[in-house]
Order: sequence, then structure tokens, then C-alpha cells
Amino acid sequence: MTKIKDFCRAKPSAALGAFVILILVFVAIFADVLAPFKMELGTLPSDILFKLKKPYWALSELDKTMEQANGTIYWLGTDNLGRDVLSYLIYGARTSVILCLGVSVLTTFIAVVIGTLSAVLGGWFDLIVQRIVDAFSCIPGMLLSMILMSMVGNGIWQLIFVMSLPGGIGQSRLIRSSVIAVKDAGYCRTSDVLGGGNLWKMLRHVVPNIMPIIIVTAAGGLGGTVMMEASMYGVKVGTPSWGYMITNQGRANMYSAPQLCMFPGICIAVMVLAANLFGDGLRDYLDPKLQGGVGTYDTKKIKKIADKYRKEFEESCRVA
Amino acid sequence: MGKYLVKRIVLLIPTLILVCLVVFIMMRCLPGGAVEALLYKLQAAGDTTATTESVERMLGLDRPAVTQFFVWLWGVVRGDLGNCFFQNETVSHCIGRQIVPSLELGFLILIISNLISIPLGVFCAAHQDSISDHTIRIISLLLMSIPVFWIATVVLIYPALWWRWAPPTEYVHFFDDPIRNLKMFIVPAILGAVTNCGMQLRYVRTVTLETMRADYVRTARAKGVPQRKVLFHHALRNAMLPVITLVGGSVAAMVGGSVILESLYSIPGIGALVVTALNNRDYPLVQGCVLVFSFIVMVINVIVDVLYKKFDPRITLE
Repeated sequence: MTKIKDFCRAKPSAALGAFVILILVFVAIFADVLAPFKMELGTLPSDILFKLKKPYWALSELDKTMEQANGTIYWLGTDNLGRDVLSYLIYGARTSVILCLGVSVLTTFIAVVIGTLSAVLGGWFDLIVQRIVDAFSCIPGMLLSMILMSMVGNGIWQLIFVMSLPGGIGQSRLIRSSVIAVKDAGYCRTSDVLGGGNLWKMLRHVVPNIMPIIIVTAAGGLGGTVMMEASMYGVKVGTPSWGYMITNQGRANMYSAPQLCMFPGICIAVMVLAANLFGDGLRDYLDPKLQGGVGTYDTKKIKKIADKYRKEFEESCRVA
Repeated sequence: MGKYLVKRIVLLIPTLILVCLVVFIMMRCLPGGAVEALLYKLQAAGDTTATTESVERMLGLDRPAVTQFFVWLWGVVRGDLGNCFFQNETVSHCIGRQIVPSLELGFLILIISNLISIPLGVFCAAHQDSISDHTIRIISLLLMSIPVFWIATVVLIYPALWWRWAPPTEYVHFFDDPIRNLKMFIVPAILGAVTNCGMQLRYVRTVTLETMRADYVRTARAKGVPQRKVLFHHALRNAMLPVITLVGGSVAAMVGGSVILESLYSIPGIGALVVTALNNRDYPLVQGCVLVFSFIVMVINVIVDVLYKKFDPRITLE
């Protein structure tokens, strides 16, 4: 708890990012409650009579009263199938949050498994795995994702897998190099001497010791993940998705219904911004290399600390 | 140095072969085949003698996969990437034709984004925590957060509706008509650069700040060297080292990454080629493209390492 407080104080912008992400998670979880039009059987109610309506505030007074009388207020207008844009966006948050969480977790998992196994087992295994990693990391990530995508088909779980694999393989090098730094430490050797197996050593000694690095890499990639999710636009994941809305409806109806392009774009931008702020802040906060370095070079703070120590020193002198 | 280069180049070969293998396996795992598509096409064209077997034999797909792989690999070694399934062209010719606009776009994006990000990043570092520093950093964060396909759509459509202006959609070679060519490329290049430069700017700023805290900079200051000289002679030269890595990385990302911009601005680049080839299951074409991409990335990695050595005499290449 104190750690969280300390983090908020040290990195207010990162805390803001975390707050926005929490709001989005909240929206994603309670989408069914929050959305004015509920999803039924996986689709939003659509009414072709009300297609491409303007947002509520842009309507004329007459239309406003009509919508009120009907009891169907489309706050942000409707798309070309007559679905409520606001509800679509709220359900879209669910897709984005699931994808981001899934991709972050799976990417880190892949990276840790490959990196740790490769470093701890070493020898031939390491050599072969590293060559395969080399080969994979030469293929541009976007291209690799596209090929994998046509391999496993469309769908949200497939998309998570496809987006995680290139990143995971790329990050495994970083994990491997940090494991190599740890695996010859005293406690790992002691574990070997006491007869602990490789698996025990990995899970009990190596992974907990590189945890900060794991968290830092996972947090640093968060913004990129959100962006990539939005950019894999040709993909229909079966659930409402912001990126899909822009490319499939926004572009076609840009002039008659700009809300179809603008609102999902803003949603994506806000989420990426929040993820970037949070990721950067967490990285700066946890990364020992940057501790007290870049961004936190506050002369006032240093003076304060120096004053505090001087006072303590003077007091101890007085006591002595 | 020469020895190191030779070693690196020799080591490229096994990696390239592995890339070939990985791509080959991935392509053969794709569901749906080129055979059915081509058969349908032939039958639609009135060729009644075409059967699945004959098409397979025509494409060389009737042999076992292992044989196919080695036949392809032997072709690659001789510089022959095979024939496209659907166009009457060799793969190398097809790639050679399409890669020029892609390279041009990537090159323009790289130049513009570096022209924006490096001076501004250094400026921010020199004026740390001033109002202009904060403003530039906030703007760069915002730029980082805008999805490129969204801003590209907006920028493509609104000028067309408001001022009846759109970039030309027909590609002309740069040497045929430079102005027309640049007219087509400048908008996507600026968009790509603007969305790319945010991250680069922040990185340049961080790195410059780190070097400005180094001992030799303090020494220079203590000697009474003027600020400008400290910045450009002592800090910047050392700060540029990590920036080289970053630029190298973004070149690598750009090689395959501007698919969206290419498709929106109808640039006949290699990104569009890969997407259609992938959808058509045009095995040799996709394999060729991936191979070319990977080769470019590897060469860039070698260049970055060599440049590193060139700029930083402390680094010893094993």
C-alpha cells in the first residue's frame, strides 16, 4: 500500500495513466450494465430505420424531443446498421482490455519460458534455440503476425496468440541475458549442490530474481500492444472492436457520420496514452539503472534529503 | 575489423537458411491452397483439361515437401526465387519492381522523423524542465498515441472533401517526374514520420540527458567550455551512439511496417504485395518477400554494429 502511494507521488502522470486504465477495465467488466443498449446473443440491437444518426447534441430540437419520446437516445449517434455507437464503444473496451491483458501476459510468458530455459539448460539446446530466435527476430513483426494470422484463423484468442509470439520471441533475448547474469550466483549454485533440479532452480531461484526486469519489459510494451491491437484492423474478432469500427464503418461514412471514425480513434488514443504513461512511469520507477537518474533529478528534493541527513547527523553529534 | 566483418557475413548464412526453413514450414501450414484457386481460375478461363493433379504438377507441389524445400533453397542459392503462382513473372522481378516505392517511402519517413526528433530531443535535454521541454514532451506523447491508420484515414479523406485535394494515386518513377512522385509520397511520409518521431524524440532526450550527467561533461563545464560546445562536442557525440541503434531498429521495423500507409495511399509497395500474396497463398512470392525483408534486417544489424565500433572506439568487436 505504501509502495503504491510512493509510486503515485513519484510518478503522478503514471498514476494518472493507471487510473485511466483502471476505468477502462471497469467499463470492460461492467459493459453489460453501463451500455444503454444491451448485447443480445453476441450482437447489439440494430434498427436500420435509425442508421447513421447524428450524436444527440448535434440533433435539432425536434429530433431531440422525438428521441426522448421514443425512449431511445443515441448519445453518440448510430452506425450504418443502426447500432448505438456509445454501446459499441463500451463493448469495444472489453475487447481491447482482454486483448491487452492477454497479449501482455502471453508475451511475457513466452519470453520468460524461452529465455530461462535457454539460459539455464545451456549447451546445445541454447545454441539451437538462439538460432531459431535469431531467425524469427529477423522477420518483421507485422509480417510474421499476418502469416500467423492466416495460419490460425480469426478470433480473439487466435489474435492474442498471433500478437504475442513475435514480441515474446524478441523479448526472450533480454530475459536470457538477465538470467545468465543471475544463474551463476551463489544461491543458484547452492541449489545445484543440494541436488535441486533445473526446474526447481528456475522457478524458485532464477525467475523471482529477474522479476523486476520481467515487469519492466511487460510494462514498457503495453502502449505498443494497444496500438498493435488497433492496427490489426482487417481482422474481425467477432466482438465489437474499436479498430474494426474505424476501418469498416468510419472510413466509408466519414463525411456523413464523422462520429464513426472520430470516437473510436479518440478511445484508442486515450488508451494508448494511458498505457504509455503507466508503462514508462513503472519502468522508470522500477528500473534500477534509472533510479534517481533521468526525470527525477530534482534539486529541491536533493536539498531536502541533504538537509534531513544533516539534521540527523547534528542530532546524533549532540547526543554523543 | 575486416576479420570481424567476414565473420559476421559468414554467420548470416545459417540464419538465412533457418529463416528459409521457418517461412517454408509456416507457408505449408496455411489452410487453403493455391491449387484450388488456380484451378478455378483456369477452368473459368475455359481450360477444361486442368485437373488438381495437373495444376499441382505445374506449380511443383506434387513432390514431397522436403524435396520442394531443397529445390527452392537451391534456387535461392543461385539467386532464383522461383515464379509467382498467379502472375507471369519471376518472384525476384516482382519484388524488384515493388520494393522501390517502399524503400522510397521508408527512406523519406526516416529522414523526416530524424530531422524532427533529434534536434528537438537535444533541445529538450538542453532546456530540461522548462516550459518548452514540457510542451514538446506532451506533444510527443500525444503523437505516440495516435494510431497511424486512423490519422492516415482522416488526413486522406477530409482534404479531399473540403478542398478537393488528394495526393495522386498513380505511381510515377522518381526519375521520370520527381515533383509528381514527391507529391504522392510527401503526405504518407509526413504521417509516418510524425507518428514515429514521438518515441524517438523521447529516447534522444533521455540519452542526451544521461550523457550530460557524465563526468567528462562536468569536466568540460568546469574548464569553462561554453554551453553550445559542451552540448555539441561532448554530450551529443556520445548520445548519438544509442540513437544509431534506435534508428537501425526503426529501419528494420519500417521495412515491413508501412503496409497501412501503402494501402491507404495506393503506393504499389511491397507491403501490399505481401498481403495479396498471402491471401492468394502464393507460396514462392511470400517466401521471397520474407527472405528479402529478413536479409535487409540482418544487413542493417551488421551495419549498426560496425557503425557503433566506428563511433565508439571503446567497443571491441570480438
